[in-house]
Amino acid sequence: MIKEKYINRVKEISLNVVQTEVESVRKKDILKTGLRVYDKGYIGIAGGLGRVDEEELERRAIDNLSLKVPYPYNPSKELKKEVDYREDVLSDEDFVNEIDELLNILKDEFPDFTFSNKINITEVETRLVNSMGLDLGYKDRLVLGQLIIKEKASANVFDALALYIERQYRRELFLNIIRETLEAYRNPVKLPKEGKLPVIFMNYDITPVSKLIDELNGYKVGTGASLFKDFMGKMKFNENFTFYQSAEREDLLDAQFFDAEGVVNEGFKYALIENGRIVSPYTDKKTAHKFNLPLTGSASGEYDKVPSLSPRNYKIEASDKTLKELLNGQLAVAVVIASGGDFTADGVFGTPVQLAFLSNGERLIGRLPELKLSGELYSMFGEDFIGKSKDKSFLGQNALAINLDVKYL
Amino acid sequence: MYTFPKNLYTDIRIEDVNYTEITYRNGELAENLRRNYMGAFIRIFDGNRWYYSSTTDIDNIQKEIDKLALMAKDNEEIMEHPIVKKFEVNRGEFLQFEGKGILKVDHKEKLALLNSYLPILESKEEVKMWRAVYLDKKITKEFYSSKGADLKFDYQTCSLAFRYSLNVDGKTLDSRYDKTDIYFDRLKGLENELEKRLNNDIEYVRHAKPVKPGKYTVIFAPVVAGVFAHESFGHKSEADFMIGDQTMMEEWPIGKRVGADTLSIVDTGQILGSGFVPFDDEGTKAKKTYLIKNGILTGRLHSATTAAALNEELTGNARALNFEYEPIVRMTTTYIEAGDKTKEELISEVKEGILVLDYNHGSGMSTFTIAPRISYMIRDGKIAEPVNISVISGNVMETLYEIDGISKEIEIISSSLGGCGKMEQFPLPIGNGGPYIRVKNVTVQ
Repeated sequence: MIKEKYINRVKEISLNVVQTEVESVRKKDILKTGLRVYDKGYIGIAGGLGRVDEEELERRAIDNLSLKVPYPYNPSKELKKEVDYREDVLSDEDFVNEIDELLNILKDEFPDFTFSNKINITEVETRLVNSMGLDLGYKDRLVLGQLIIKEKASANVFDALALYIERQYRRELFLNIIRETLEAYRNPVKLPKEGKLPVIFMNYDITPVSKLIDELNGYKVGTGASLFKDFMGKMKFNENFTFYQSAEREDLLDAQFFDAEGVVNEGFKYALIENGRIVSPYTDKKTAHKFNLPLTGSASGEYDKVPSLSPRNYKIEASDKTLKELLNGQLAVAVVIASGGDFTADGVFGTPVQLAFLSNGERLIGRLPELKLSGELYSMFGEDFIGKSKDKSFLGQNALAINLDVKYL
Repeated sequence: MYTFPKNLYTDIRIEDVNYTEITYRNGELAENLRRNYMGAFIRIFDGNRWYYSSTTDIDNIQKEIDKLALMAKDNEEIMEHPIVKKFEVNRGEFLQFEGKGILKVDHKEKLALLNSYLPILESKEEVKMWRAVYLDKKITKEFYSSKGADLKFDYQTCSLAFRYSLNVDGKTLDSRYDKTDIYFDRLKGLENELEKRLNNDIEYVRHAKPVKPGKYTVIFAPVVAGVFAHESFGHKSEADFMIGDQTMMEEWPIGKRVGADTLSIVDTGQILGSGFVPFDDEGTKAKKTYLIKNGILTGRLHSATTAAALNEELTGNARALNFEYEPIVRMTTTYIEAGDKTKEELISEVKEGILVLDYNHGSGMSTFTIAPRISYMIRDGKIAEPVNISVISGNVMETLYEIDGISKEIEIISSSLGGCGKMEQFPLPIGNGGPYIRVKNVTVQ
């Protein structure tokens, strides 16, 4: 019998901002432990929160083998690796004082706006250890600010958004994101024209790639339910388009380098589409085995659940060009809030855009009215694909640029 | 039981959660989980700022209270603070599910129930990938406050959720059939409904063509009307968006006309189902709140903080996702009240329009959106060919005036795998529903 322990610990301080004031301070320290046992092709799991008696967990996990959940795959083994991406941040007390000061600056600089929602420091630790010599550890800590901005004179629930994701807190960087957003917000502009235009999305916005993620599901490909079922190894997209699963340090969110089955990819990345050619869907051990597909380390699962196939962090490979160079003199529609859109089953894309700006590739220059975007999957990442910028010139993030049909809503 | 710090307001919410999840993927058992845990959320208020702590260390809640109190400032007048004065003080045990509780059902019976539906999925060659899930959750909450609240209550739901990917002649569709109830026995005997849904979906994907984008009269089925009510107006009614905001107060005075005079929208935590919230997470008893009555803005949803700020009454809508989060203003079960037409009348009066029967997701700010999954054209008053639509959208405040027909039939739907998302707290179980509603001038892409 092989024994395996999965530990996840989240420590967080979370400040809730209401009307540009810190309304509350929330602290949490939640430890979740899962004990897995593997025997005769089955897996038994038991989990607990907080302090747990590991012997008791192990007994329960062994009992749960009787639930007969099949797992006829070899657990990962003989690999020790520890990654600690944490950087120094403020103490809890200093953090609260700093955010009070930040909000005072915002009140002075932007008296016609209010700011609300959360600013957090979250520390995550995950460990996967088993009796086969596997010992993987990941520690990270992020400062995540997501401020909702409302113009005082507006009857909207909110009017703009400022996102800050870094391992360190840098007041000026956060302020500059807000300043650039609101300076552009105050300058209403119109589209250069209705029709096909360069549209840019932020690095973390999965709106344009959601269909790729759905259709690259290994189980979907293997069972023939995916649009891509016959296209493995085929050239279907722009030769400059590479799409990969990533757990690189620069990813910030989802940078855990091993999956729930302890699979570690070389360089912490795995290309699913490489230079326009579909290389592989994403897979866990079961999917890879069942459909004879490459193993991409794409299993997720809560502390007490069976690891299963789930999308992880996917991103487009950045080009060697800045956004300004990619746009080549054109203005772009910079999407900040596009909520509610989707792809149809056959890959037609449509979404309203609640907040967009015009960008010259270096800065936002004005706020656009509400828009609607449309495109088609193979075109968006084929002839309409412009590229991903190497620089972070879209509110502190890399930008994905695609030509899409743009109209006023 | 607990010693509350002097000159501060304190409350404690303890959650005892029992959870079952059984999943089959393409015929293979993939999950068979029984989970039980306890967690607590502590709140302290000094009149200026709230201090929260989330803990799994149930035996040491008192220590956690004392530690948290050190961050707050003494306030001798705290019990006179408008927010603290708003809190209801409810006491007693309200355990409705001890006898008929889901915990009384043997795990093997749950497994057998789910197994009984699998042959239907396996019998369709067009179903390429599927997942069948049985879920149940029973939560017992205790709530204590320094104002005297002393509550223990429970609620439960159980669900069947079928997710499947179809491939019909090279055309694909991801679809689903869900059923959630509060009693296990009501999940039995759904074979015909599941089979019918599968057959309809297969025919839909075989014949669906891309829609011609434009503005259409759209009829929403009850499940879609429910999400429309939730997204288009429910979120606007959450009063935390209004605190300290003079413009919003002027824009949204109670008594203002906001929609067609046939339109009434209700939120209530009293309906048994996934939006059943007998007491909210501040200890407030469930109420029935008209958000819109006959087209007039009649109420909004409150926590004690927002009710105090707007000088309105509590509604029982302060809800937290779980013990790791503080309560914020959320919906419970939100629905549009019935009208006076039949579904057939609504359809027969449309020259060219669209019937939306089911959806993938929705969102709502100034613009509401719904991503339909199953839609049909209406031509000359009759349901015509199926169409693929990526998104329908409209301006919330204009659209509420564009409702020109509401059916007599009404259906309340409980969420199963998903729920409502607000900021960091997702997915919160809610209910929604309504009648068939007809809306003019909806943008279709």
